[in-house]
Amino acid sequence: MRDRTLKYLLVAPAVLVVFATTIWPLIESLRLSFTVGRLNKPGSLDQYIGWENYTWAFLYEPAFWNSVTVTAIYTVLTVVLTTLFALALALLLVPGGRFRSGVQTLLILPFAMSPALIGVSFRFMFNPEFGLFDALFGVMIPPLADVSWLADPVLAFAVCVMADVWGWIPFLTLVLIGGLASIPRETLEAAQVDGASGWRVFRDITLPQLAPVLAVVIILKTIFSLKTFDQIFMLTNGGPGTATQTLSHYIYFNGMKYGQIGYASSVAWLMVIPMIFLTYAYARYVFRKN
Amino acid sequence: MASVSLRNLTKRWGSFVGVDNQSIDIADREFLVLLGPSGCGKTTTMRMIAGLEEPTDGEIWIGDQLVNDALPKDRDVAMVFQNYGLYPHMTVYDNIAYPLKVRDTPKENIAPRVQRAAEQVELSGFLDRKPKELSGGQRQRVALARAIVRTPQLFLMDEPLSNLDAKLRVSMRAELKHLSRELKITTVYVTHDQIEAMTLADRVAVMKDGVIQQLGTPDEIYDDPQNLFVAGFIGSPAMNLVNGSIANGVFSSADGTPMVNIDADDCSSVTLGVRADDVTAIDKGQGFTDAVVYAYENTGENTLLTVLCGGQRIIVRGDRHLRKEQDEVIGITLNAANLYLFDPESGLRLRDTGVRDNRSR
Repeated sequence: MRDRTLKYLLVAPAVLVVFATTIWPLIESLRLSFTVGRLNKPGSLDQYIGWENYTWAFLYEPAFWNSVTVTAIYTVLTVVLTTLFALALALLLVPGGRFRSGVQTLLILPFAMSPALIGVSFRFMFNPEFGLFDALFGVMIPPLADVSWLADPVLAFAVCVMADVWGWIPFLTLVLIGGLASIPRETLEAAQVDGASGWRVFRDITLPQLAPVLAVVIILKTIFSLKTFDQIFMLTNGGPGTATQTLSHYIYFNGMKYGQIGYASSVAWLMVIPMIFLTYAYARYVFRKN
Repeated sequence: MASVSLRNLTKRWGSFVGVDNQSIDIADREFLVLLGPSGCGKTTTMRMIAGLEEPTDGEIWIGDQLVNDALPKDRDVAMVFQNYGLYPHMTVYDNIAYPLKVRDTPKENIAPRVQRAAEQVELSGFLDRKPKELSGGQRQRVALARAIVRTPQLFLMDEPLSNLDAKLRVSMRAELKHLSRELKITTVYVTHDQIEAMTLADRVAVMKDGVIQQLGTPDEIYDDPQNLFVAGFIGSPAMNLVNGSIANGVFSSADGTPMVNIDADDCSSVTLGVRADDVTAIDKGQGFTDAVVYAYENTGENTLLTVLCGGQRIIVRGDRHLRKEQDEVIGITLNAANLYLFDPESGLRLRDTGVRDNRSR
């Protein structure tokens, strides 16, 4: 057998797996998004209706727009909060900073947990009867003692954001520590000697040099926030009502629970649009030449 | 402009002593060079003056101000870093202007001062470029311009020429010297290059293991080294150091080869120091003693002979026309008027053991 044939043969299994699990479902979901596509209606998976699923989402589905709004607010809040906390932590933990690197090991712990597990544990901790946070908040801020966290639309949303920020801080912090560590120390020292205060060194010297890494971190986190599903599913299951129903959750519910696989596919493809822009921006930052 | 005074300055990291209880007084407008091998504490000393490192003990005075607890920005110093420390995201103009901007200089004053500083280091045509578009020498000039754009009380330069190639280093050295005489600002300059130290300094502090070995003018350091370390560190090539003994007015190397007549008390163990210029190479049998040529090097402007004599290597500087072959036997004579004696144990110069010290004035 010639090397040429052999190398394709060796790669073939991997290509097949990727095709079967990623490419084919992608194509199939695009096809389904143009069909009636109801799981309980035989033949409807091949019954084409053009763009009707898409127009339906836009025109007649308040729940769709609700989930768009929830996802948007959720994304903005989690991205901003996670980035700010991670940046603050990274500044403290960077080598030569105030804390030794032993803390960095502890830091990775939340990131090692699966999002579903984070969801479950947060639900447990906010349980009105035996939740740790519920009790803690009750003791520290007595007016909050009787609050039923996950039953209130705003508070449930806040808990979701909190769980997400908590889970993502480690990863962002580690990336930012790397970015900070690669800033030449002499530039920071030169600025100090030149007369800059700590804040000005940060604003004029650290931040501009960290900008490329920061941009990558923000884009990545935005992608992850937009996709959020498992954590919400385990924590609030979109509720109360639809207060925490993100797009992914909405898609899952329509597709799997209501069996409207055609409609769910069309919404999924609508979500692809912002993702493409973000991925493009990400790729530009990561693979740019300079 | 100000004098600088270090009093009993100490820096320790755990059990490691970086700078050990050192005191120096630097006069106003003086150019002081801290010279020593890497790890000797010279950069640490400078960083403590800048405020980038906190002293474990001791005091730092700039002018009549105790600055131990002052932040770097409040010390009114300017520093040139070994790797330049330029701000990569700023243009050359913004780099030079930064010390002015950050000190809230009125905007209309910034541009003319940046222009002037850029002219002084011949960078006027490069103000719009980013540092990465410049050569090493140009980057060094930007760092210099950034330092001189203000009139600080004190300049600190941390091996500013060590990242440049040899040729550029020589020309930048002259420019630095010219600039420093023009600006007349107190300067502390750190280097491991003894030629830089000799050429630039008003005074040199030779450091080793966190301790100043000798503080003096370049002439004093060269002509009157206080110990073996200074003697061996200053000069190119370094001073020849030969272990041996003195008996009846003759210095003999450790294996008993008589090398030179010397007017000193008998001594069973002594180190003789002699510079390459004070050894003359002549024909076999004509000198005080014979030696075998170990290596012959022609540098163009002169020649260097490494000879084996009394079991030790001695470097001889000859004129540019001297021609010798390896393994050739020649005669050498040490100039008895320019010899140094050291105690091999303590490394200290021997001056008061009956040695007629030729160099002390």
